[in-house]
Amino acid sequence: MFFLKQLKHTITLHPRFFGPDMEEFVKTKLYQDVEGTCTGRYGYIITVVQVVSISKGKLIPGLGSAEFVVVYQAIVFKPFKNEVLDGVVKNVNKMGFFVDVGPLSVFVSSHTIPSDMRFDPNGNPPCYQSEDQTIEKGGAIRLKIIGLKTEPTDIRAIGTIKEDYLGIIA
Amino acid sequence: MKVNNKRLPPVRRGFVQEEDAARLILGDDFAEEQCLFISEVKILLDAQRENKAGSDKNATGVYQSTFDYVNQFARFKNQDTVREVRQFLSGENLESFEVAQLANLCCEEAEEARTLIPSLVDKKDEEPLQALLNEMLTLKKFQT
Repeated sequence: MFFLKQLKHTITLHPRFFGPDMEEFVKTKLYQDVEGTCTGRYGYIITVVQVVSISKGKLIPGLGSAEFVVVYQAIVFKPFKNEVLDGVVKNVNKMGFFVDVGPLSVFVSSHTIPSDMRFDPNGNPPCYQSEDQTIEKGGAIRLKIIGLKTEPTDIRAIGTIKEDYLGIIA
Repeated sequence: MKVNNKRLPPVRRGFVQEEDAARLILGDDFAEEQCLFISEVKILLDAQRENKAGSDKNATGVYQSTFDYVNQFARFKNQDTVREVRQFLSGENLESFEVAQLANLCCEEAEEARTLIPSLVDKKDEEPLQALLNEMLTLKKFQT
């Protein structure tokens, strides 16, 4: 799910940036620091929409650099267990297939694919096939997240399509 | 010296309630946050792209993959339609997460919506939900 979330980040600025354009530097540094990062707690920070406030700089004793606490609003993407999502098939192999849901890559194991679907390694591209459905690279698919593993800088997810109303979508 | 007698809430060390979208448990960080439709994310990213055209700050891989994703899966392409859907769904007594899921998945049948968004089962009966979905599909069909 995508969220609009207010977040806080502390920026340390080198003294050479002190001056009339300081605010610009702080903002640029913020964009560089947070955009595109992923934390287990907040998910993927996609982009900063708005900078809400920048605190007064506080010099760090002994260094000369200043710290700014920046409050900003960002679009974040965080997956949840049992959430239903649409995605695009990226990679198919005999163990299952990978689906890209925006920045997140979800693995769907062959155990969580309906049992009437068979892996066809000779197909071009390789695919999972049943009588009326084909899962191959590039197809749009609806899946449900059944497990998440959050690491400090990464999120891994596994999904299923072995339930009602899940699978290839038009 | 004054002693602070205020009792602190019990600390549950190491206890983390597991997040579960089916029961609308999103964790402390996200329970109160505003969920966005995929269509809304698309509008926000488009607007941002226009403002910052030429700068390379948007070049991150996460940004690009999200941009491609929302362009493919945004159900409502038109800004007015998105606003209408948001307004119309917020009139219902639903959580922000459910509203966003309804708009993102755009189910056609009530049964389907109830299966994919299990928290709806206790809140909405089949018929009102079907009426809701029909209304949404009509809006989708007539967007320009």
